Amino acid sequence: MTILKTTLTTTAAVAAMTVAAQAADCPVKVGVLHSLSGTMAISETTLKDTMLMLIEQQNAKGGVLGCEIEPVVVDPASDWPLFAEKARELLTVHDVDVIFGNWTSVSRKSVLPVIEELNGLLFYPVQYEGEESSKNVFYTGAAPNQQAIPATDYFLEELGVEKFALLGTDYVYPRTTNNILESYLQDKGIAADDIFVNYTPFGHSDWSKIVADVVALGADGKKVGVISTINGDANIGFYKELAAAGISADDIPVVAFSVGEEELSGLDTSNLIGHLAAWNYFQSAESDANTEWVAAWKARMGEERVTNDPMEAHYIGFNMWVNAAEAAGSTDVDAVRTAMYGQEFPNLTGGTAVMLPNHHLAKPVLIGEILEDGQFDIISQTEEVPGDAWTDFLPESAVLKSDWKDLGCGMYNTETASCVQMNSNY
Amino acid sequence: MKRPLLAALLVLLTTLSAWAQSTPMQDILQEHSDLIVQSSRKTIEPAIRGVAASGLPQAQEVMRAWQTKKMWIRTSDGLFFRADKLDAKTYRLFDFDTGAVVGDSPKSDLKQIKPNSGIRAMIATALVQFQLMDPDPVLRTEALLAIERAPDGKLLEPLRASIDRERDMVLQARKIRIERLLTIAYDQDEPTRIAAINEVSGDLGLDVRATLNPLVTTKLTAFAGDIPDTVNVARVLEPGQDTLSSEAAYGVLVAQGMAPAQVTRDDMRLALLEHSDGTSVAGVPVAQLDADAARSRAYAALVDAGLAQPLVSDADVATSLAAHRFAEIYNEPSAAITTAAQDALDRITTRVAAGQTIDLTLDALSLASIYFLAAIGLAITFGVMGVINMAHGEFIMMGAYTGYVVQQMVPNHTVSILLAVPLAFAVTFVAGVAMERLVIRWLYNRPLETLLATFGISIALQQLAKNIFGTQARPLTAPGWLDGAWVLNDVVSISYIRIAIFVLALIFLGVFLFIMRRTRLGLETRAVTQNRSMAASMGINPERVNMLTFGLGSGIAGIAGVAIGLFAKVTSELGSDYIVQSFMTVVVGGVGNIWGTLAGATMIGFFQKGVEWLNPSNTLAAQTYMIVFIIIFIQFRPRGIIALKGRAAGD
Repeated sequence: MTILKTTLTTTAAVAAMTVAAQAADCPVKVGVLHSLSGTMAISETTLKDTMLMLIEQQNAKGGVLGCEIEPVVVDPASDWPLFAEKARELLTVHDVDVIFGNWTSVSRKSVLPVIEELNGLLFYPVQYEGEESSKNVFYTGAAPNQQAIPATDYFLEELGVEKFALLGTDYVYPRTTNNILESYLQDKGIAADDIFVNYTPFGHSDWSKIVADVVALGADGKKVGVISTINGDANIGFYKELAAAGISADDIPVVAFSVGEEELSGLDTSNLIGHLAAWNYFQSAESDANTEWVAAWKARMGEERVTNDPMEAHYIGFNMWVNAAEAAGSTDVDAVRTAMYGQEFPNLTGGTAVMLPNHHLAKPVLIGEILEDGQFDIISQTEEVPGDAWTDFLPESAVLKSDWKDLGCGMYNTETASCVQMNSNY
Repeated sequence: MKRPLLAALLVLLTTLSAWAQSTPMQDILQEHSDLIVQSSRKTIEPAIRGVAASGLPQAQEVMRAWQTKKMWIRTSDGLFFRADKLDAKTYRLFDFDTGAVVGDSPKSDLKQIKPNSGIRAMIATALVQFQLMDPDPVLRTEALLAIERAPDGKLLEPLRASIDRERDMVLQARKIRIERLLTIAYDQDEPTRIAAINEVSGDLGLDVRATLNPLVTTKLTAFAGDIPDTVNVARVLEPGQDTLSSEAAYGVLVAQGMAPAQVTRDDMRLALLEHSDGTSVAGVPVAQLDADAARSRAYAALVDAGLAQPLVSDADVATSLAAHRFAEIYNEPSAAITTAAQDALDRITTRVAAGQTIDLTLDALSLASIYFLAAIGLAITFGVMGVINMAHGEFIMMGAYTGYVVQQMVPNHTVSILLAVPLAFAVTFVAGVAMERLVIRWLYNRPLETLLATFGISIALQQLAKNIFGTQARPLTAPGWLDGAWVLNDVVSISYIRIAIFVLALIFLGVFLFIMRRTRLGLETRAVTQNRSMAASMGINPERVNMLTFGLGSGIAGIAGVAIGLFAKVTSELGSDYIVQSFMTVVVGGVGNIWGTLAGATMIGFFQKGVEWLNPSNTLAAQTYMIVFIIIFIQFRPRGIIALKGRAAGD
């Protein structure tokens, strides 16, 4: 009897402690690692606001695992090494359960070693160059095969472009993307001479020479198209110079991978009508979920504010994370990660996004033409395209595969059937 | 039994035919319905041709609606209509055949046909035949634009026919020019084409070069034996010489199917792997295959067995090459035309090179004027007073934001810019005076502390701007008359906004010189700078002079901000983008001398554009080379291009 009593008491005590432990986990902390100052603030501040809105909405629905979600916002100030420090601060000082953050690839590269060392979890919402797969990062933005390649196909097939100008800001995303595109275009029979590449610094404003160079490409009678990986506020000067040179989208179309509704709101768009952008989301997408999302954003931030693709990526990423945590019954990084695979969530453009074992999403690719009001007219929408971490168009990465679910490896060589390495310090 | 059935059938047929007769355009659209909805440039051609060649009077109307995205399909019955928006949810439908209103329809039942710009260009080309003689000059211009964008031989005759009847002189000139270019590309008669080529030779237009260049494109071709007379040879090449390596020449032979491909080591490896039975390959044990000799033996055995491609030895290659002649052959068969085109292009190329030099010079001048404008305020505060003001860039930013605020209140762009210039001066003048009074005057002759204090102020001002205006770039739109560019020809052009900045820089140079040399403030400033205590004992109040001079320098930075905001962007980082260049300009030019600042700006502008020209693919590298160059330059002329001499040099 006494034994039974003791056992019961112990069980009760243990149970009480478990409950206490769970209660101590409340509130669930979500780190927000976006630059609020410096050159990338133009794009990243919006994502901070998006996260705060998502967290607020989720808290109104009762939070996650019965806990209130508490956002922890830090400002890495567009300073790439500072991203690593702030990530460490989030994981060790604030003990956050998950981080949503980063925009530029160079900032993500700087965070990777920290997040892998401390086994954190990062949701990265921006289109990027691929060629990477970290166990601790979910890439909710587009890989090159979900943005750059379809847009290039569109140029080749629908617009009949024969000569390409690849203009980019000088950092890792444009350089890698342009490498992939150069290789892809040459596969498609475009001569190396017909591909013009240029890199400019962040915040570049003197575009007259480069625009003149691009115009001069048309001297041999071939149709010229510009693929722009220009980032941040340098775009403003670029489009202004294009307009000043009297170049319309019908003469030299420009497709941009980093210009969305947000960037256009700082521009006089009357001269940009018809230029293109490729994303997985546009504010003008017609679906009930999107109407509701846009209305909620405008109600919170003001009528003149717009929504864009990385916001949708956070929307999908955050909701998937909430569902995965509920499914796993914990916010433990490894448990959530396992529960993430195969997570489905309706995206705002009408289909369903699925989280793949390579930590990328399957999403549709949209191509839009810029309208007078700074919105996009969606003229092409594909089926859901599964994101590919390692591009098929560079020989050294065509053999690589990422599968964290079954193979447990982000850099698996299919030829030698072996895992090249686990960390993403390449 | 039979009769009623027949009657019914007859009735049905008449109805059908009546229906068909009344809606011929709808029928054509229905015939191509799938293609139109799919909306891809690769497949749309029959649909456009169907509408354009229908001969129906409404064809033009339909194509224009289609082109301007006004064509909608009703999902319930698949019929096409022109639709006008009534409100967010309702559209009014118009019948394509009668033009009559069909009724209003909810948007949910409609789907917009969105032709992409590739398809729109095809529709535009198809519309040309209708528009060339249209009474509306706007439509005629559109037709010409369509031909320019997509030249087509079929349009040559209609275009020629329309020239004589064209009453608008400008459009007629344009038509004649396009006709000349189409003649060069598509006319059948050789002398006519050559005459047209000679007419345009020396013309710098991009369209001329785009027409001539395809005529002289060549293809490297191999011939067994001698080169036949029937082909138009650009030049004969000898394999193994500089211009054509033996490998490349052999590659041509392989591509033309005149020689077998060479077997690479990789091919060999794959062949061996393919025919391996696990223990041996063609009788050679796998264990021995780690040496080249054994591998060759195994491969030779495979070749004998007919299982692999025979090896091509270097001797075989040499024999094949010797048996063939190589030449670059023009795609254009007529030698007379290629010669004429080549001559014309040669003349154009020289002129293009000259034009590009002028264009580069203009760009460099423009960049120099921007740097000068950004640096001129600093030339006063740093150059004359010796204050290292790291917040100088933020005064530029303040000026730009002042322009933005004024533009929010005054919608007319011309008026707002004219207002913004003095206002920006006033705002930054006040800010400069405040900063001088509150901070800098306590730190005169303590350059390190000044540097740190002003750097702090610069960060604070940037954050303040972020808090007030947000992080988004704000538009500062130039008035309409500054839009566009001054186009001398297709090579030399410069945007009006840059010319305006250049003029502004000149005006400021004048203002600066006037203030420094002709006004009392200038005299007092020079006196205070040269010898403060002596000036004070002459009855000059140095405190007041310093305050006003600093305000003046800051005020000019504010005006520079309006100009820079017009051509680039208005963000809180605007100033920090220019602070380094500004200091560089002043230091390189020579501290304390406005002509030095001018020389410095010119040198940096020209040097940067020069490097960009040498290395067009990386603009960042150009800036790096520039800084390296400046460091070296400063080693040789530590006091800058124009160094102050004698007592004025101070220390």
